Amino acid sequence: MSAVHAEADGMPQGHFTLPDPSLPRVLEVENLIVDVPGRRLLDGISFWVPKGEFVCLCGPNGAGKSTFLKTVLGLMPPTSGSIRIMGKPAQKALREVGYVPQRKTSDMTFPARSIDLIVASMRGSWPLRIREEERARAIEILRHVGGEKLLEKEIARLSGGETQRVFLARALVNQPSLVILDEPTAGVDVKGRAEFLDLLAEISASDELAAILVTHNLAAVARCAERVVYLDAGRVSAWGLPSELLGQASLSAISAVAGGDHAAHSHQHHLPDEE
Amino acid sequence: MNALLEPLQVAFMQRAMIAGAVVGGLCAMIGVFVVQRGLSFIGDGLAHAAFGGIALGLLLGVSLERMTWVALPFTVMIALGIGYVLRRGNMRGDVATGVFSAVSFALGVLLLGLRSTDGPQVNVETVLFGSILAISPDDLITVGVVGVATTLLLAFTWTKLAYATFDPELAALSGVKVAALDYMLLALTAVVIVVAVKTVGIALVSSFVVIPAATAKMVGRSIGRVALLAIAIGVIGSSIGLMLSYHADVASGATIILTLGAVFGLALLFKKK
Repeated sequence: MSAVHAEADGMPQGHFTLPDPSLPRVLEVENLIVDVPGRRLLDGISFWVPKGEFVCLCGPNGAGKSTFLKTVLGLMPPTSGSIRIMGKPAQKALREVGYVPQRKTSDMTFPARSIDLIVASMRGSWPLRIREEERARAIEILRHVGGEKLLEKEIARLSGGETQRVFLARALVNQPSLVILDEPTAGVDVKGRAEFLDLLAEISASDELAAILVTHNLAAVARCAERVVYLDAGRVSAWGLPSELLGQASLSAISAVAGGDHAAHSHQHHLPDEE
Repeated sequence: MNALLEPLQVAFMQRAMIAGAVVGGLCAMIGVFVVQRGLSFIGDGLAHAAFGGIALGLLLGVSLERMTWVALPFTVMIALGIGYVLRRGNMRGDVATGVFSAVSFALGVLLLGLRSTDGPQVNVETVLFGSILAISPDDLITVGVVGVATTLLLAFTWTKLAYATFDPELAALSGVKVAALDYMLLALTAVVIVVAVKTVGIALVSSFVVIPAATAKMVGRSIGRVALLAIAIGVIGSSIGLMLSYHADVASGATIILTLGAVFGLALLFKKK
């Protein structure tokens, strides 16, 4: 681990611990700038994620979290700067990334079963017939996330927690080096959210798989994060250990994201979080 | 039984049956994606846009029989325009469709008024409500060519189109060319709509796209089964509707749509909760 004074990099005052620079880097973002006509959405983002590290990406609405994810995933072109995944330009390494989107982006009325989603992720196209080896792999990955019984279930009938379990399975099925989760517990009931956090904690414990979790949920940060990157107005305003950012000074900033000092002070870590 | 099948002995009914079945199947095939993407209104919008194309053709002196060849590029351009606005993301699909179709329809009315009074008379009712019984051998060839081309294109892109329909972001991440597929689907919808206008008319064509797919969606558990079921409903519903209209001596286009509506009603009634 290396410790830095964040102030030197334009970060707010504080002493933040950065990852060990000698560790292999799964994601490396350097001076990333994204402009749209008349507006700068990302303003010189730089940080890296070493192998096996679980990073929580936090920040208020409009801070640039979604833009950052879209740019990393190649869905939005950067204006300048570089994104490297496993040492390769991001566009050439997307097979190394598993993605769990926000629930609202997928059409959950689509006539399909969980297995169809998982096999679609394996093939890169929608399956009309599923081969035996694909079925076996889908069962294996669903078992890994505790969702074996969901294999044949229609997606329209999945609960919020089950949906995210299946989406996590489809993100992990190609054995990525990095998994990106965009507010995965938004709109999930309390029980489903707790179960999903258990799963994320398992990923966090892994030394192989790196993860970036975009969340407004303090419980998720406290439970899973090995590092926190805090975005504000398109810039990295803090990057350090959760204990450093969840200190008194920074707690109010993170909790404001979730829309409630009240929730932050309740010590329950169950914020009325993601929108 | 012979009396029931009597219409099939007549040449114009044979052509109508073939055209109705092919167009019914094509509209259903396209409809599966249109309905699933929440673009049901686009069938109606493009049919109204086709009216603008037909009027333009009439102004240019093209006969009503060959009007398809003017209406086709015109409607495809409108469809691509709607697609462009949708992709820019600053307007909802129904708004974009509403604006484009209303402007095209108004343009059609304007162009019809500009025609020389000595030109051939046009029966606007035929344009609005179709004339499947007047399908000529040339029309049948057009329907056949469009049918084969559309089926081939959809067959080659089916699995990618389905993925992009489920979630365009995830599909794009898997390397699917989502934008190209979106434009292709809209252009194909325009082509099929223009051909279908001849059979059931501008006023009813969107039901030909929407009803079989919406009915199949209530029953099918996978997108493949929904598509097969929708095509079967489109083909069989069109054939039964046409036969009923012949025996009852009533408007054929309307009877076809009412038959499809009855199937939809039955599916709704017996749908498992």
